[in-house]
Amino acid sequence: MNLFAPRKIYTVSEITADVKACLESEFSGVSVEGEISNLVAAASGHLYFALKDKGAQMRCVCFRSRARFLKFRAEDGLQVVASGSLSVYEPRGEYQLIVDFVEPKGFGSLQLAFEQLKTRLQAEGLFETQRKKPLPLLPRCIGIVTSPTGAAIQDILRILRRRHENMQILIYPARVQGKGAAAEIASGIRALNRLAEIDVMIVGRGGGSLEDLWAFNEEVVARAIFESRIPVISAVGHEVDFTIADFVADLRAPTPSSAAELVVSQKKAMLEQVAGLENRLQQSFQFRLSQLRNQVLTLSADRVFASVDGRLGYYRQRLDELSFRLQNGLSSHLGELKAHERLLAADLGRFDFRQTIRFRRETLGSQFSRLQASAKLFLQSTRGKVHALDNSLQALSPLAVLDRGYAICRDTHGNIVKDATTFQPGDSFSVRLARGQVEGQAKRIQAAED
Amino acid sequence: MSKPKDFETALQRLEEIVRKLDSGDLPLASLLEVYEEGVTLSRFCQTKLEEAERKVEILNRKADGTLERTPFAEPDTDPGSHD
Repeated sequence: MNLFAPRKIYTVSEITADVKACLESEFSGVSVEGEISNLVAAASGHLYFALKDKGAQMRCVCFRSRARFLKFRAEDGLQVVASGSLSVYEPRGEYQLIVDFVEPKGFGSLQLAFEQLKTRLQAEGLFETQRKKPLPLLPRCIGIVTSPTGAAIQDILRILRRRHENMQILIYPARVQGKGAAAEIASGIRALNRLAEIDVMIVGRGGGSLEDLWAFNEEVVARAIFESRIPVISAVGHEVDFTIADFVADLRAPTPSSAAELVVSQKKAMLEQVAGLENRLQQSFQFRLSQLRNQVLTLSADRVFASVDGRLGYYRQRLDELSFRLQNGLSSHLGELKAHERLLAADLGRFDFRQTIRFRRETLGSQFSRLQASAKLFLQSTRGKVHALDNSLQALSPLAVLDRGYAICRDTHGNIVKDATTFQPGDSFSVRLARGQVEGQAKRIQAAED
Repeated sequence: MSKPKDFETALQRLEEIVRKLDSGDLPLASLLEVYEEGVTLSRFCQTKLEEAERKVEILNRKADGTLERTPFAEPDTDPGSHD
């Protein structure tokens, strides 16, 4: 062994280059499982982090060109499998994994991405119930963001046709899967928001795989729905498919068909409500009319008024009208309340609402006694008024004056005569006394001396 | 009695009127007036519910970026097709 043979002396750069070449050829296309830590997302778009397990850690870098294909957000603490190639970062003499692809350990990246976005948007308040807008009672025009050739639009139109529903529909055609679909859906939602006549919107597509439905799990779509002025019904895939869009939407329809049903049933319910109101309107009015009629009848038969003569008839009728309304109102109103109670009881019979029924009964009782009391009071005061009128009419009656010894003189035409000079000797006249009447002829006329 | 503005307002007013009539404390003088208004509102609502016409349109993006509406051909209404 020649101790003096020249030793191989590397420069730092040389040996680093050798190590790098060695590592790169030996460890290309490897997958490493570990936990992400010390993650830094640089402004450039590159991701720097360490992968670690209990015993060791290694540096990793994921360049922007690769990082932008990650569906989920890389986060510290996330258990992942990173695939790529080992290399050496010469300036620091550090070896690192150049990451091509990261997938979460335990579940798919789409599933993780879904959970991450859901958590984030929920924390931001995008799913809050109080932010949800009510659907219009009677939509004039429905906007639909979906594929014009997909199953969803066919389903919706078929339902509306089957129900013979005439509605205005405006379709915003958007791709609903593949690259760029989410952006198209989002701009569709915004475009329809600029049209004044649209007052409800369906956003959706037919069934498909998780990947097919993915556009509805993207943040741009969620934000567009959240910002929509028009209420949005989401209708994505089948009943079992839940998307982020469903959580943000004002209403989730399990399928596109049921979205159409929802809009239609709303209208049917409205028709029924209006018909019901009209019915109640007619009944209430008829009821009030019959109340008035019955009041007149009852009071006409009342003995108290039998002696009131001639001119009192008008007042009597008026009184009849008023007080019969009340009197009859008592029994009819009570009957109505009782019928109402029966209805309620029947309706609530299915549930155990005894408490409510008891309360209703008490309310009925107190309403009835209040009604009774006010009716009594009204009748009394009205009768009093009629008696007073009767008395003053009696006082004014000419019969009362005759009783005091005065007489009334009339000419042959029946006109009351107040001046003697209107008579010629020989004219006939009649004199009305308190009891009976006398016919006579003028003998001598004497004018007043004043 | 003013003309109802829209379906929602008319329905709300109709409910109010029916409640008023049901309560029975309406004076005789306004009974007829209120009833007539109720009937008018009810007819208005029914007309609104029935009057909608069927129209299906699709938006198309024109070269200048604006959106244009054209009728959307429903497959089932195409001549020769069967449902």
